[in-house]
Parts: sequence; C-alpha cells; structure tokens
Amino acid sequence: MLKRKMFRDIRKNLSQFITIFLMIMIGIMAYSGIKAYMDGMQKTANRFYSENNLQDLNVIGYLNYDDLNKIKKLDNVKDAELKLSVTATTDNDKTLLLNFIESNNISKFYIYEGEEFDANKSGIWLDNFYCEENDINVGDIVLVKYDGMVLYEKVLGKINVPDHLYDTRDESELYPDRKEFGFAYMSVNEITEDYIKSIAMKEASIADEKVFDIVMPNFNYKDHIPFSSVMVDVEDKNNKDNVKENIEDNVSNAKAIINIEDTSSYVSYQGEIDEGKTYVGVFSGIFLFIAMLSVITTMTRVVKNQRVQIGTLKALGFSNNRILLHYIGYGFWISVFASLVGLVLGYFLIGNIFINLEMEFFEIPNGAPSMNISSYCVSVGVILVVALITYITGRSILKENPAETLRTKIPSVSGKTIGITKRGFFKKLSFSSKWNVRDILRNKMRTFMGLAGVVGCCALIVCALGMLDSMNFFVKLQFEDLYNFDYKLNLKENLSNNELQDLYDKYGSNTSQSLGIEIKDIDGKREANNILVTDAGNYLRFVDNKNKIKEKPSDDGVYVTYKLASNKGYKLGDEITWHIYGDSKYYSSKIIGFNKDPQNQNVSMTRKYLENLGITYQPDSLYTNIDLSNTKEIKNVETIQNIDNLKDGMTGMLSMMKTMLILIIGIAVLLGGIIIYNLGILSYTEKEYQFATLKVLGFKDNQIKNIFIKQNNWIAVVSIIFGLPIGYYLTDWLFKTAIEEHYDFGAFIETKTYIISAIGTFIVSYLVSRFLARKIKKIDMVTSLKGNE
Amino acid sequence: MSFIELKNVKKTYIVGGKEFDALDGINMSINQGEFVVILGPSGAGKSTLLNLLGGMDKVTSGSIVIGEDDIAKFNDSELTRYRAHSVGFIFQFYNIMPTLTVEENVNLIKDVTNTSKDSKEILKSVGLLKHADKFPQELSGGEQQRVSIARAIMKNPKVLLCDEPTGALDSKTGIEILKLLKKQSDEDTTVIIVTHNSLIADIADRVIKIKNGKVESNELNKHPKNIDEVKW
Repeated sequence: MLKRKMFRDIRKNLSQFITIFLMIMIGIMAYSGIKAYMDGMQKTANRFYSENNLQDLNVIGYLNYDDLNKIKKLDNVKDAELKLSVTATTDNDKTLLLNFIESNNISKFYIYEGEEFDANKSGIWLDNFYCEENDINVGDIVLVKYDGMVLYEKVLGKINVPDHLYDTRDESELYPDRKEFGFAYMSVNEITEDYIKSIAMKEASIADEKVFDIVMPNFNYKDHIPFSSVMVDVEDKNNKDNVKENIEDNVSNAKAIINIEDTSSYVSYQGEIDEGKTYVGVFSGIFLFIAMLSVITTMTRVVKNQRVQIGTLKALGFSNNRILLHYIGYGFWISVFASLVGLVLGYFLIGNIFINLEMEFFEIPNGAPSMNISSYCVSVGVILVVALITYITGRSILKENPAETLRTKIPSVSGKTIGITKRGFFKKLSFSSKWNVRDILRNKMRTFMGLAGVVGCCALIVCALGMLDSMNFFVKLQFEDLYNFDYKLNLKENLSNNELQDLYDKYGSNTSQSLGIEIKDIDGKREANNILVTDAGNYLRFVDNKNKIKEKPSDDGVYVTYKLASNKGYKLGDEITWHIYGDSKYYSSKIIGFNKDPQNQNVSMTRKYLENLGITYQPDSLYTNIDLSNTKEIKNVETIQNIDNLKDGMTGMLSMMKTMLILIIGIAVLLGGIIIYNLGILSYTEKEYQFATLKVLGFKDNQIKNIFIKQNNWIAVVSIIFGLPIGYYLTDWLFKTAIEEHYDFGAFIETKTYIISAIGTFIVSYLVSRFLARKIKKIDMVTSLKGNE
Repeated sequence: MSFIELKNVKKTYIVGGKEFDALDGINMSINQGEFVVILGPSGAGKSTLLNLLGGMDKVTSGSIVIGEDDIAKFNDSELTRYRAHSVGFIFQFYNIMPTLTVEENVNLIKDVTNTSKDSKEILKSVGLLKHADKFPQELSGGEQQRVSIARAIMKNPKVLLCDEPTGALDSKTGIEILKLLKKQSDEDTTVIIVTHNSLIADIADRVIKIKNGKVESNELNKHPKNIDEVKW
C-alpha cells in the first residue's frame, strides 16, 4: 500500500520529481561523459603506443649505420631504427615531413588503406588526414620535391604513426593545417645515389664528379645517407636514463637524445588529456555540485511537505524504519534511474561527441570513449547522498511526537533579521518588495540554492565564452603584436654567406635563429629548452606582462619568458648556464629582462649578444613584408609561410573549441533553467495559498505574477553580479593551470561577453519564471485555501 | 427587490466521474445591512454558497444578483474587480500574510482598490493599533482574526463574507469577533456568516438553514439576542 502511496505522491508532484530526475541525469551525464572522453583519449593513445611500438628515445644528429649498430649493442636497448626526416614539397606547394626508413618495427604504421611497409617497395605511405583533405587515394601518383631531387611516387598506403599524432610545420603554427602539411614515409632505397653523392661532394667541397670518384673510389652511397635520427626502443623503460647516458658516451654523432615524452606530438596529445582532466574536475564538478545542491533542497522540501502524512503514518502505528524506508524510496529509485540514464547518455552522447572532435584534431585510430569506474562511484555516491538527505530529513520529523507532526509547520517570521525589514529603507518598499524580502529571509536555504545554481550557470557561460575571447586575444597578440611581418621564410640549413646575402638583397635582412639548448641548474640537472636569437628588428617584437610592446632588446644578456622565470624561480640579474646541443661548451648569461610569449617558454637574445659569446650566427628564418602571394618557390628557402595562413590555422582549433564550448553552454543553460524551474516550483508550491488569498482579496493575476517573478529576478541579478567575476577567475584559473606547460595564457574576456552572459542568464531565469507564473492564472482559490487548512 | 437575490443557483461538481450537486437550486433574498447566519451540517453546501457569493467560484446555473449586478454572469476579470471592490472575506484560519506586519496586511488592500479606508483608523477600531508593527505570528488567534477583519473592512465592502470566523477561537475571543462583525452590519455592511455553530444564529437578523444543497428555511429573527448573552 505504501508503494502505491509513493507512486501516487510522485505522480502528484511529477514536475518536482522530473526536475530531480533531470538534474541528476544531467549532472551524471556531464561528469561521466567528460570523464569517458578523457579516459578514452588516454586509453586510445596507450593502446596505439603499445600496439604500434612507439619509440622510447629519439637520438638526433647526423647518424649512420655504425651509430645504429653501436646503439643496438648497448645494454637495455631492445631495438633501434634509422630515420632521415626532411621537409619536402609537392607539385601543388604543399609541405610534407618526409621520412626515409629501412624497416618499420618501431613506430609501426597503422594502415587505413593500402599495404604494409616493405623497404623493397617503391612508393610512398602518406598521412591519412593529409590524403583525406587533399583527396588522395591509394594508387595515385604524387610528386615529391626535396633539395633538387624530384620523385614521382605511387601512394602505397594511408597511415597513422604513433609519433605523429600532432604535427605542425614549425613552432610558429599553433594548429596543424592538414591540407597544407602532412607526413610521409618512404623506403630508404628510394633515395638516389646521385643525390647522396651530391651531398657528399658538397661536404668535401669537390665540384667535379670525376675528381670525387678518384678521391673516394669505394664510395658506397648508403654509408653516406645523412640520417637525422635513430628511434630507440628500450627494454626496461625505468632505466631509460642509463641508455641515454650510454648513447651520449658512445655515439659521438648524437647531438641530442630526447625522451619520447618530450616530443611535440606526445606532449600535445598528453597536454590535451591533462587539460581535459582539469576540465573534468571543474566543469563536470560544477555541473554535479549545482545539480546536487538543487536535488538536496528539493528532496528535503518534498519530505518536509509530507510532514502531516508522516505524523499520520506514525499515529497509525507504522515503525520509524518502515516510514524512513518508504521516504528513502522516493529519492532512491529516481536517482538510480536518473544515474543509469546519465551514464548511458554521458558515454554515448558527450563521450562520443567530444572524442570524435578530438579525433579530428589528433591523428590516432580507433578513438573511443572509455567508461571509468569513478563514474560508477560518483553515481553510487549521488544515490547515497539523495538517500541520506531523505533519511536525515525524515528522521528529524520522526523525532517529534505524532501530535506535533500532525500540525503544519510554518517557517518562522520573527527574529532580528526579519525585524530589520520593518525599519528605515525597507519601510518605504512596496508590498511586493517587502513580501519578497521577507520570503527570502524566511527561506534562506532555498534562496541560497537558487543563487548557487544561477551563479554556477552564469559563471560557466562567462567561462565558456571567455575561453573563446581569450583564444582570439592570444591569436591577435601572437600574429599581430609579436609577429610583425607578412611572410616568414624558413631557410635551408648551412647556407653560405653568399647565399644568405642573395636572400637579404631581395627580401631584407630581418632574421632569427632558433638554437636547441640545455639549461643546467645549480644541482647540475639539465633541462631541454631553446634560444631565439633575433636580428629581426621590429619584425619580431616582445611584450611585457601587460601585453604592451617592449622597447628593442638590449645586447648585454638574455631575456626569459615570465612563465619560465616563474617556474624556475629566475630573478632579474640571475645567471643561467646553458649549452647548445651538439656542443659541450657551457655559457653563463645574465637575465636582463622578461618577456611574455603565449606559446613558447624559452630564452631570447640578440644576434650581437650571441656573437659576443663567440658563437656564429646562422639564421634559419627570414621575415619580410614583400608581397610573396604569387611566389611558389625561393632558392635556398624550404618553405614560405604567410602570416594570414598561420592565423587561419587557428580557425580549426577555435572551431573545435567552439563546438565543445557550445555543448558546455548548452548544458549550463539547460541545468540553470531546470534549477530555476525546480526552485521556482518549490517556491510557488509553498506560496500558492498566499497567492490564492491575494486572488480572493481582489489582486489581478498580473499583479500576483509580478510579485512571484520579482523574487526570481532579484535572485538572477544577484547571481549575475557574483557569477560574472567568478566566471572570469574560473577562466583565468583554467588557462593558467590546465593549459600545457609551454603556453602562457590568461583570461582576456571582452565586455560584450559579460553583457551576453548577464543578459543570457537573466533571460533564462525570466522565461522560466514567466513559464511558472502561468500557474497563477489557474489557481483554484477554493481548493488552494482549503488545502492550506 | 432585496440587496442580494439568488435564483435557482446550482453548483455541480464531477466527483469520481459522477455528478454531485453541492447546491441544488438555491433561492434566497438578503437585505442590505443584515447580519445573516447560514447554518447547516457538514457537506450541506454552506461554503460552496459563500464561495459563489464571494466570486471565488462560478455557478453551474442560476443567478446571483448583488446590488444591481448578476455576478453569475461575470467573467474572470469582472469577478476580480468584484472581489477587489465589493466583498470582504474572513476565513476560519485567518489567511493573513505571514511575512507582512499587521498594518502592512491591512494596507495590502491599497494595492487593489483606491477607495480604501485609513489603516490606522481601521486598526484602532479593531483594537490592534498597538500591534500594528508586529508580525501575525506574534499575535494570538483572536488578534489574527481581527487582522483578517481589519483587512476585510479596509476596502469598505458592500458584503462581508465570513467562513466559520470563530471556528478556531475560544468562546470569549469568538464573542469579541462577533461584536466587531455586528458593528459592521450596524454600519450598513451586509454580513454573512457561514457556520455550523447554531448558537451564533441567536444574534442574527436572518437565519438561513441549508441541507443537502437546498434551503431548508430562511427566517427573520424578530428578537435577536445581545451578543454578550451568547456562550458556547
């Protein structure tokens, strides 16, 4: 019989139970969905890395077969493979990171279409995304040009490779442009003997081939292929450092040995997961918290409204436990059902949508969300909290004697707080304002829950829109303030002075050089970084911490980015000790200033300072404002990058962010709407008899509606006042803590975003209130007043 | 013609799919300024009748003429205007706003009509001036019912409708309340009290008995008792 009572009570208060259901469902859906997406990212990568044997170390330098054999013989080395990576172009001026390999046991291909790697096969294996963007199919012939070498290659396969999840053309690109840039693999056998011979002749400064043949009669071109790296697979991953040291000691051609965890592809993917982990905590945590606050308030009220029935059941002889179990059932079954639906929707809807967006961003196969045990634990936690709240509320009512319980309890009106509203400014308020002020003071908890809900939603909207604003701001900072050029020419390595001079004559001499370095701290610990040496004048600019453009850098020391300085505890005047990769000589440089860089945390210096240290300046980039829109190729220039293209590259990333943020805003608005509706229902139910009295007294429906809406409007306005700054700090915190180590972003939220968020939040609140206020017209005075008796 | 004329008033409810006549062809006349008591057992239709007279509910058929208006023909907004200007309600459980002070509760009427009286005078007349700044919860039951009366007479209504106004009060307090209501009737307001307490009938100008939704009797009391003589 009690079960029947429960179902009928639920049916009677259906809208309240539906909102409880929706709040739990949305809270769990948001949490489990984002969690499933993040865990799915991690598991997808782990599986890909493991099944396709991602290398543990990259040995960088000019390496050959002797070096490979030395590495293979070292302790704890499982396997090693040579690779020559070059930047090639295609007939339609796209850029390819072209890798020549002789076997494919390390960083194995995942083949979407085509055939396995075979060193004896002539052809090319191409980046799957690049193929899709450029409509290239297996069997097509592509033209590849590199350093005068022109190859026509048949596409043998469309692939993913575990060390190429995320590739950009260079550090000036924030987002990979898959249409313009991709990676490719070919057999080392495809490198022509003539090409290697020409390199060897250039190195030996011999112009005549006949002379070269005489000087090097036993020339075997394969021994002279200038491999750029060796991929090393280590047996015991915990002892990677020993292998690194052994390579340093035994392989003189090794210029740098880089852990795979420090490579840009790995860092970018892992960074996305780490950022996501913070979002899991923040966004889904807020969603769940807001939802639970509201559910707790509602369940407490639902049970309290059953006070007389509880007294009656008790008077009829039902045991306390039986009554408690009956009321726990109300919240229990609703929360069990809502949690299950939330878990399913979280996985299939949020998890799938988010991971599919990521899979458009990273080149990794079989991306799928993964349900984590913590999602089940959170669901169980939610069910237990709801049950516990029902239990505590029920128990407090059961403690009273049945006679007392059978009387309706009206919230107290006396007390100092309410007394204040009889004096001064409050005395002048209209009836409806006084009524609402006192109603708020009498129902502090309900009001607080309403405030918390709307504050949370407003803050989430500010945060979601603010993230887009901040990204747009940093694109402007990067591509308009820091980069003050139209074109960047990436120069070929080791250009002679004459070759450089030719370029200077045509495009100006604003150049820079990037040097891979290791910084040694006072404990002798070394950490990889890079130095930007600038001789680019006003073409490359620096900004201070307030994003204001700084004066021309000085020539008597180095500049360090604020974030790097903050992480390492560097102060103005400190000295840093560093050496260039491939050169064991250490230098000490005084820090003479700080600069802000949104995407690289590094060290900068002028060309003059570098040369004062005795190091030769060899530019790798040249900046110009000369119009190169019709120029496809420049001698001694590897790639020509247009600043607008670099900027456009960001559009893809921003559009992915937008989709995710729209979802978050959508959930925030939905949840906010439901919370306002739910608390509105609570508030309305508790005031219905007062509204009925007002109606009897002759108040018009609109007058009563305005009284009701006024309170919700106040709550919305106060919530917005708190929600806007909280939204700012949330965004700032997310950017400063969640984002990858090498980024230095902060919140930069435009005024219009605050206005949109405030208006949006108010509109949601107002519309829900108006929707609820429709009930006032339908109040049956007779029934409502009788019900109160 | 009497001030209030009810002709063939029927009110039918659907209960459990079946029709139930709460009022089954009521006819009655009440003169202006009369102190009327409507008596009847539970379920007789007293409250339904009061609700119809107060414009809180609509008739199924028949007419209710008050003054010159047939309120049975009123639409919702006309009924709202009628409640705002012409009729005052007094409930058994007072129905005063718990979050408004005594004076604010009375002044509430200013929001629905501009022909209201002065609240101070009204409070003085019901003996509540010294409690004007208190919240209802700080008052006794009798005092709360006085607030309800003050609020009802604040608008200077033509008709004062009272649903068991002494039902929740002790005898002494009940008599105080009846005195206040009688005073209104003496000032030409028609006061209609619905009650099952037959003792109150002794002080009425007119006693109407209702049973099973029909008027059993409608009699003028030629010798109404003085209120102080009534006890229960």
